[in-house]
Parts: sequence; C-alpha cells; structure tokens
Amino acid sequence: MRQLLNGNEAAAHAARLARVEVLASYPITPAAPAMEKITQFIAEGSLKARFIRVESDHSAMAAALGASLAGARPFLITNSQGLAYMSEVLYHTSGLRQPVVMAVVNRALAAPHSRFPEQGDAVAQEAAGWIQLFCENNQEVLDSLLQAFRLGEDEGVRLPVMVNYEGYIQSHTRETVDLPQQEEIDGFLPLMRRPALDVANPMAVNTVAGPELYMDFKYHQDAALQQAAAVLEEVSAAYARLTGRDWGGPVAGYRLEDAEVVLVAMGSLVSTARIAVDALREEGEKAGLLKIRLFRPFPAVAVRQGLPAARAIVALDKNIVYGVGGALGRELRASLYGHASVPVFSYILGLGGRDAGVADLAQIYRQVRENMVAGLTPAAYQWYGL
Amino acid sequence: MELINSLAAVPDTELFTGGHGGCRGCGAALAARQAMKALGPRTIITIPASCMATIGGSGLTTAWEIPFYHSLFECAPAVASGIRAALDIQGIEDVNVVSWAGDAGTADIGFQSLTGAAERQENIIHVCYDNETYMNTGGQAGSATPYLAATPDTPAGKPTPRKDMLAIMAAHRPAYLATASVAYPLDLIQKFQRAREIEGFRYIHILAPCFKGWGIKEDQTVQLARIAVECGLWQLYEEVDGRRRVTVIPERRLPVREYLRLQGRFQTMDEATIAALQAAVDRRWQEVPS
Ligand SMILES: Cc1ncc(C[n+]2csc(CCOP(=O)(O)OP(=O)(O)O)c2C)c(N)n1
Ligand code: SF4
Ligand SMILES: [Mg+2]
Repeated sequence: MRQLLNGNEAAAHAARLARVEVLASYPITPAAPAMEKITQFIAEGSLKARFIRVESDHSAMAAALGASLAGARPFLITNSQGLAYMSEVLYHTSGLRQPVVMAVVNRALAAPHSRFPEQGDAVAQEAAGWIQLFCENNQEVLDSLLQAFRLGEDEGVRLPVMVNYEGYIQSHTRETVDLPQQEEIDGFLPLMRRPALDVANPMAVNTVAGPELYMDFKYHQDAALQQAAAVLEEVSAAYARLTGRDWGGPVAGYRLEDAEVVLVAMGSLVSTARIAVDALREEGEKAGLLKIRLFRPFPAVAVRQGLPAARAIVALDKNIVYGVGGALGRELRASLYGHASVPVFSYILGLGGRDAGVADLAQIYRQVRENMVAGLTPAAYQWYGL
Repeated sequence: MELINSLAAVPDTELFTGGHGGCRGCGAALAARQAMKALGPRTIITIPASCMATIGGSGLTTAWEIPFYHSLFECAPAVASGIRAALDIQGIEDVNVVSWAGDAGTADIGFQSLTGAAERQENIIHVCYDNETYMNTGGQAGSATPYLAATPDTPAGKPTPRKDMLAIMAAHRPAYLATASVAYPLDLIQKFQRAREIEGFRYIHILAPCFKGWGIKEDQTVQLARIAVECGLWQLYEEVDGRRRVTVIPERRLPVREYLRLQGRFQTMDEATIAALQAAVDRRWQEVPS
C-alpha cells in the first residue's frame, strides 16, 4: 500500500509492522512526532504495546534495555542531546548483547544550540558497539528499520541497531512510501524470546568481570559486530525477495563501473549525490557514487570492492570529529590503506542544517577533479560552504 | 496472606545466599537476605552501582538464586519499569519486580528515575538500603549522610542535614511506603510480605548500617540499627494510602547521645548540637501517634 509519509511516520509504521511490544521514549525535536504516532497506534489498537512515559532519555534507554532483558521487543526514538545523554546505557545494551532497535533522527549537538540536521550525534556514538545504518529516503527508513530487527536479533549477531535518518530533511518531508502487508512482515520477523531475566531460569546479568574475563567478552562482542555486515546482506536479500526492494548490503554503488571520481556519502546526501552524478555524467564526467548504508561495523571490504576504477575519492561528511576531520574520510583512508593508493579528498559540509545541494556537490566534484589532474595531495580535510 | 509471625516460621530457603562478597557484618547483605524471605523465588531484582550490586555477583559466580541485573547507577527504577512492561506484555503476572538501590542510587544520582517511576505509579517495589554514605567508592558523603558526619570528603563533618527521602516519597502518594531496619527482621519481612500483595508503586527504606562508614565494629551493625530506633532517630512505620501506622514501639528509649557516641563519624559533634538534635527527636516523638 503506497502512502505519502514523512520519515517519522515511516518509522512509526515500521514499529507497528514489527509489532514492537514496549515503547520507551522521551520527547525531543524533531523525533517526537514519531513517538507520538506510535502512541496513537497503541491508543487506537493497531499496535499492542506498552508505552513507558519515562522522565528522561537515559531512563528511556534503560527501560528499553530492561524490557529486552525480560524478553520483550522494545523500540525507541531519539537524537542529539537525548542520544548523548543515553550514551552510558548504549554501552550496556551492546555489552549485554540485547537487540534493541532505535531510530535516531540525526540532529546537531549543542553548543551552540541547534535543532537542525547533521550526523555528528550518531558519529559521536561510533564506539558504543551498536550497528548503525543510515537511510537515504523515507522508504529506506521503513525498510531498514524492519531489517534492523531481524539483523539485531540474528543468533550470530545479538546486538542493538541504530537506524539513522536526518531531522527535517527526512523526518518532516513527505515521500511516497510503500507499506508492506502485516502478514509479510510477520513471516519476515518472527518473535523469538530469549529472556536473560527469567524466574524459570535465574541468571545474574552484568556481574563484575575481572581482567581474566572482561577482554574475552569484548572479543566476542566485536566479532559479533563484524558478523553483522554479512548478515545484513542476507537480511537485505530476504527482504528484497519479499518486497521487491533491494537496498543492497553494507554499501550500494551508483554508476561506478568506469567512475574515476567517486562521491562517498551516507544519509540524505546520498540522494542528493545521485542527482549530482547524473548531471555530471550528462556533461561527460566519469562521476560515480558509493553509498555507505552500514556505518558500524564499517564495511571496509565492501568499500574496496566497490571502488575498482576510482582515481579519486570524495568523502562527504555531515559531521566533524574535532581535530581529526570527517568520520567517513577517516574510515575510507583506513579501509584503503595498504590496498590502493587512491587519494581521499575529505569535505566537511552541511553541519547544523547548512544547505548542501546538488550544485554544491558538483562544485566539490570539480574542485577534486582539478586537484586530481594537477596531481595535488589531498588536505587532511577541508570545510565546504563556510 | 499469612504474615510470618516468629523467627521460627521464617522459611529456611536462602535466595540471597552465603558466599557473597560483602564484608563481615554488612547491614546491606543482611537486608537483602531478610527481604528475600518474603519476596520469594518469583522475583526479578535490579541493583544499580553500589556495594550490593558488586557483592552479589563476581566473575562467573553469584549469590542470587533469582534473576539479578546489575544496572547502571542512575536508572534501576527505569530498568524495573521496562522489566514490568515486558512481563505484562507476555502475560506474566505473579512476579515481583524490585529495584534495590543504595542511598545514592535512590536519593542522589538515582532520584530522577525514581521520581519518574513513582509518578507513573509503576507496579514495582523500590528499596533503598541506606548506609548513609557512598560505601562502594569509599564512603563519601551524599544527601542521605547525616548532619556533621565525618566522611572522606567531609572530614570536618557534613555541613548540611540529611535529605528527608521519606517525606519526598510520601509526596508521590505511593501505594505502599515503609521504613524498616535490619535489627527488626520480623518487622522487615512482614513489610515485604504486605508490599508484595499490593499493586502499584511501593517504596521501602531500610536502615542498613555499614561498620566501615560509621566507624563501628563489624559485630555492632545490628546493635546500632536497633539503637537508631530506640533513640527515635529511625522510626519504624508503614503507610497505606497515606495512612501511617507505627509498627514498632521500642521497649526502651535511649538518648541520641548514646547512638552518636558509639560511632566514629560523629566525633566532631559538640554537646550543644547533640542537645538540639535530642530536642528535635523529642518533639517528633510526641507528634507521632503510636
Ligand atoms: C555514573 C556513575 N557515576 C559514579 C559511579 C561510581 N559509584 C559507584 S557506586 C557509588 C556509590 C554508591 O553509593 P550508594 O548508592 O549509597 O550504595 P553503597 O555503595 O553505599 O551501598 C558511586 C559513586 C558510577 N558507577 N556510575
Ligand atoms: S563496605 Fe559496608 S556496605 Fe559495603 S559491603 Fe562492606 S559492610 Fe557492606
Ligand atoms: Mg550508601
């Protein structure tokens, strides 16, 4: 069934279709409408779930974790300050291997105060042990969220998943979204309960782990996270068989075959870059696009395979890791190191809602092309659009 | 429900067992052992960072015979809310969900999630085991630390009085509220028995001395807990629907000086301060209906 939905509505429908059982969420702009929509589903009876009206974001994550430990399928939504406030609990959730799914409606972190889109909030949690997916449009928000439950709950993974989409650009923009049938999703997402807190099988969770244990827990956790890239391929393929929509696995290429200069982006910039690539191709440029769908674990192998003909790579980052540069720029260089000597030109753009449109990406492309032809070494990173 | 009326009638089964990592004479461990006699095996407990969180499980061993989750410091009542929601959605009804926190996990860093859960009238029991300091990090002062108690970070004595958590929690109008003491096990056990029969938010505050923090000997834990009641600084009562019932009227009344002078932490308290405290206790003693 096709409907006009904004990103928040798409996320709410995904929660409904996934039959989430516990919603623990605390309002924050521009994510709150997604939470309200789900409470509306609960009120009208189209979703059977308990809403815990927590007093803070920290408690939202804690309540979702508690629900997961006791065997339910929870869901929550947040961003920016809320996500930062949850940070401590994010680590507990991944460390305890609980497959909690959370929508993150990316927004810039204060200070200075901002309500506008940017991916720095999610990037700041890159070491928290969560799987992180980024979506380019509202259909992908719905589809990735549904895939996220199956991915996180996979026996070989058992990890929490963040599904990212940007505030306003996605959360408040309506697009056509095709909603799958409930029966289809029920078959795709069977509920398998694995309570850690169960009176029939008492266990102690999160006991003190000394030096003889802690590191091994971490080894297994990291191995499970690495596993998520391959499982995402399977899950995406299964979803494609069901719905006909294939978002690819960890990465997706566009016009890459003979591309010499490749734009690399995640989130809404991907759809902008797609248009920019088409325009550049019309001008005879050998431009291509590599979409990063999976940011954590970072799909280094898929990235290398996706860039066969590239002579220059353009990392487009809507985030700044202070003193280092853009997260994608850094990851791309690390992924290619020792494999290919392709220069990575790293750009910081679009922070705090600053516009980054088709013309901007085309201009960056031309800059990079000139530098490439001139044989210039890329700067560590540069700011675009100041 | 039949109340346990004698120590002989207390079930033998230990659900918080020996072999835990607490110090000898730990008031907190005693409180847990006693409470579990009433709560029984169909109980899920979550304990935030504190002595109790660490002494109940270490490495691959645990002293808990029930499901136990050592939660983060701020959020045991929120975790308990999530557990309850998960049980409800699965149709599991006969399980007690307990968040069990120290005085910091209750009154300080844990207060936000506690007041939230109480306001939502979550169907959980929150227990504060109160040793009046931050023992797990070395005994620093917190809001539950009494006036002029010396701690590592208030060496000259804490300059402000203790926060009145019971008044604060009573203002939330919980379904059940009680004080308890490890020196009165039957009273404590009966309160947990009554609490588990009631639905809604229940708050039980247990005075659980810590010899290290209080400057007493390991074998004085119960003695001090008892004297706290006998001198009137800690009253044993319960409130259902806001109506208070005093549950223990001590047989003898002792001056507060006796309580204070037995402890290392009140050494800087002068006689005038003790007299003022005694006057305050006397006034309250008269107000409380018995
Ligand atoms: C967020 C956070 N801040 C600080 C700590 C350190 N910490 C652990 S336990 C504790 C004190 C606990 O005091 P209380 O709740 O009274 O329990 P007790 O140890 O006295 O039994 C502190 C400060 C922590 N674990 N987490
Ligand atoms: S320090 Fe005090 S509260 Fe902590 S385990 Fe020892 S006796 Fe118990
Ligand atoms: Mg304490």
